[in-house]
Amino acid sequence: MQTQNDSFSQKLFRFLVRLLPFDFRINYQGEMEGVFREQQREVAERGGFWDVLKLWKETIVGIFTTAPREHWEILLNDCAYALRMMRKHPGFTVIAILTLALGIGANTAIFSVVHAVLLRPLPYPDGHQLIFLRQQQNKLGIDDIQFSVHEIQDFREQNHNLSGLVEFHAMSFILYGHGDPDRVRTGVVSWNFFDLFGVQPILGRTFQPADEEPGAAPVLLLSYDYWKNNFGADQNIVGKTFEMNDKVHTVIGVLPPVPQYPNENDIYMPTSACPFRSAQKFIEDRDARMMEAFGRLKPGVSLAQASAEMSTIASRLKSTYAKSYPDNVGYQASTTALERELTKDARPTLLLLLAAAAFVLLIACANVANLTLSRMARREREMAVRSALGAGRSRLLRQLLTESFLLALIGGLLGLSLAYQSLHLLTDFAARLTPRAHEIQIDTRVLLFTLVAALGSSIVFGTLSALFFRSNLTASLKDGSSAAGTGRKQNRVRSVLIVCQVAFSFMLLIGAGLMFRSLLKMQQVEAGIVPQRVLALRTTLSFSKYTTRDQYLVFISKLLDRLKAEPGVLSVAISGRYPFEPEFIAGGAQGVSFSFEVEGRPIQPGQAPPVTTFAAVSPDYFQTLKIPLKEGRLFTENDDDKGPAVVLINEAMKHQLWPNQDPVGKRVSGDGGQHWAQIIGVVGDVREFGLEHPPLPEVYAPQKLNPQPGVVLVRTAAEPTRLAKTLTAAIHEIDPQIAVTRVKTVEQARYESMANPRVTASLLALFAGLALMIAMAGIGGIMALNVSQRVREIGIRIALGARPRNIVRMVLGQGLILTLLGIGIGVTGAMALSGLVKSLLFEVPPTDVLTFCGVGLTLLAAAVIASYLPARRAAAIDPNHALRSE
Amino acid sequence: MTHNKEAESFLPLTPAMFHILLALADGEKHGYAILKEVARRTADKVKLSAGTLYGNLSRLESEGLIAESNHRPEVGLDDERRRYYRLTEFGRAVAVAEAQRMGQALVQARAKKLFRKPKLA
Repeated sequence: MQTQNDSFSQKLFRFLVRLLPFDFRINYQGEMEGVFREQQREVAERGGFWDVLKLWKETIVGIFTTAPREHWEILLNDCAYALRMMRKHPGFTVIAILTLALGIGANTAIFSVVHAVLLRPLPYPDGHQLIFLRQQQNKLGIDDIQFSVHEIQDFREQNHNLSGLVEFHAMSFILYGHGDPDRVRTGVVSWNFFDLFGVQPILGRTFQPADEEPGAAPVLLLSYDYWKNNFGADQNIVGKTFEMNDKVHTVIGVLPPVPQYPNENDIYMPTSACPFRSAQKFIEDRDARMMEAFGRLKPGVSLAQASAEMSTIASRLKSTYAKSYPDNVGYQASTTALERELTKDARPTLLLLLAAAAFVLLIACANVANLTLSRMARREREMAVRSALGAGRSRLLRQLLTESFLLALIGGLLGLSLAYQSLHLLTDFAARLTPRAHEIQIDTRVLLFTLVAALGSSIVFGTLSALFFRSNLTASLKDGSSAAGTGRKQNRVRSVLIVCQVAFSFMLLIGAGLMFRSLLKMQQVEAGIVPQRVLALRTTLSFSKYTTRDQYLVFISKLLDRLKAEPGVLSVAISGRYPFEPEFIAGGAQGVSFSFEVEGRPIQPGQAPPVTTFAAVSPDYFQTLKIPLKEGRLFTENDDDKGPAVVLINEAMKHQLWPNQDPVGKRVSGDGGQHWAQIIGVVGDVREFGLEHPPLPEVYAPQKLNPQPGVVLVRTAAEPTRLAKTLTAAIHEIDPQIAVTRVKTVEQARYESMANPRVTASLLALFAGLALMIAMAGIGGIMALNVSQRVREIGIRIALGARPRNIVRMVLGQGLILTLLGIGIGVTGAMALSGLVKSLLFEVPPTDVLTFCGVGLTLLAAAVIASYLPARRAAAIDPNHALRSE
Repeated sequence: MTHNKEAESFLPLTPAMFHILLALADGEKHGYAILKEVARRTADKVKLSAGTLYGNLSRLESEGLIAESNHRPEVGLDDERRRYYRLTEFGRAVAVAEAQRMGQALVQARAKKLFRKPKLA
């Protein structure tokens, strides 16, 4: 019994002792066990239970205080030693640190974006409960038809899974009473919009139910940025009044600097203050849809449950109001987590970039492992001496890992500063993909990630190099030279590492190559317009001043005449929007799409009606943008409400509906046959919503029939931006209260529409370039090492008659074999990962043969260049010298 | 002089270290004997466990304050598994310096009449 007890406590004691460093245990474990045994015997003689307990307590405390101190001591020694070693080999140290800095820096930078955009919960209390509601017309391919007032009310009243459902729509109004008339982006929201999101104002209050009552005194909330930039963060802003839409609006509060979803606004107002939303006709019309809907799930309710309920409500609406939800449109309602909805555009790009950055780090690790291995070959004797002096293998391993970690840590710090420098560039880039870009920052989590990346890399390259260094250290002491067997083993490991580097570089180059090919293809696409030398000026009229159609028409006519008279102006047009206009690219074609019917082709029950995009334009629109007329005629000044309604269509629409007929003279209706408009001509297709999107069917109507003076387009003889000021002044001559904003050339808008693929391609190219450089250095390094290890053999070959050409070929051949192997693996990897890039490519398959061949050849050429220097050195070996030296 | 300076760089010693040096002042001892001696002399006020004892011994040994002794007891009394430690000359100097430091502190405390009960007015 006693012995059993003894052996158990001894085992427990031995287990505790294992917490102490290996070296310490080697020295003292036996004695410690002896002392503990004596203590136990003594306690047993006294026989008290409390004494036993006390002994254990003291023993455990003793080991737990000694172990960290001993480990720390060893770490300090190892660090000091590692720093000495780093100083002794500055070349190795600098290259290793720089390689790691680039790898870790790239990862930190991309991770900071991924973390802020994809991983972090929304910055609202219980942000995961926030959802985005959407009504769809699946059969028409329309993903989001928005909501009407009736629909918002129905979904709000009939659901049981949401603790709240609020509406939002964006408007542009003109704010008077603060300097020049200011066009303000206005969010029109339900009174409890901010309560639902959990946003507390920093000044004043948010909306209350009374603010949304019809006829309530108009009130405003200011966004943080608008308050800071336009009112110098005036603490007394609450209570100040401004004029807007002919009414006096009072500021009731200022929002905190939270990210604004679904988009950035300058001010917010309740629904009753918006002249459109509060119009009785709009409220009563179930089919007048312009609002987005957000909700918050009740605690414990899943997204799927909410989605299912929305579907049920939608079916109920469908059976109750058959006219508003015809069978043939495929009407449905669903919900998405707000987090997902806001990041859906960013996800594929960011994941691709993260994968690319991870590849760069892996390549960097493989390269540093290779460098370390080469250096290890030179440090074998040092290691053997230390081993002979009593350092165990695990002790040496620990020393090597500490050295690795120190390298990675310094590399990581440098990488962090690189990432920090690039942060504002990345934020600009991400802002094109998601409204969450403003949340990007280097915070504790990102720092932790950098530390983990550094630690991870050091473990990868430290272990790789430590595991493969000569296991038989004493042998190296005895013979003094490097043993052939282990040397070969190391070379094999190095070769495998090179093959990996080439394979990963290949995949990165493929990614970059595909993106660039896709970008080139996009640039070559015919936009359908001549965007050069056209200036676009967005004009916002006071809704309260222009209330009748005639007022608009008079304004439009005056404006066109005035601007045409300006010297240097070739033609002027007015339209609701223009091709590549950023706001419409972001919103997509859905916002300006509608379904219609063709005379004589009644829509059968269950059949989806045709859908088209729509624009109201003045007669010179086509001349200004140089959109060619294909058939029939263009609009004239006489196409107004006095004559018959007329429209123009584009070729895409012609091909869809009248593939082998002349559409001129046919009639279409957008309101179920109440009014018909005659097609008078066919114009060329325009890729309005981005070059990557094929042209959609489009109907143009004359401004005189549908006045929408949204944007003024001016074609000029010279550089158009020089006329911007003159043109703005000319517009203000007609009406000084018009806000003229977003002045930009159409060419600029076209260029910006490609910013996304351009930045993605550039970042990938940067990563791929880094990878290629690192891989080239790796191939060159291993070839040089190979040659230096084989001086004798090469010397014999030369002595036996091998020509320098043969030697060069031999060395180059070895480099090429490694590269070819790497390319082979890379091809397989790139094919396997093709799904990752597919959604980002334009008219280029992810397995594009041209890209694959081009990248393969680039890598082979790089390998030849990298191996050439060592090959030359090999060919220049003097056989006499080589044979004597060993 | 330099010897003294070097010794002073170790001061103040932790109580455990000082008592281990003191335990070795009158001859070499093995670990358990040191532990017993320290406990006895400090009336159990300084209690060393196996971990703290050997942590301290390791540090004192690596700093050269103690060393393993070659003298072992007669065959009958010896336990092969035990190692004996002795105070090095430098270790003695450090212990002396520490004792002097404590002595000076005591003199100063006396001069300030720290031990006398304060008189009440």
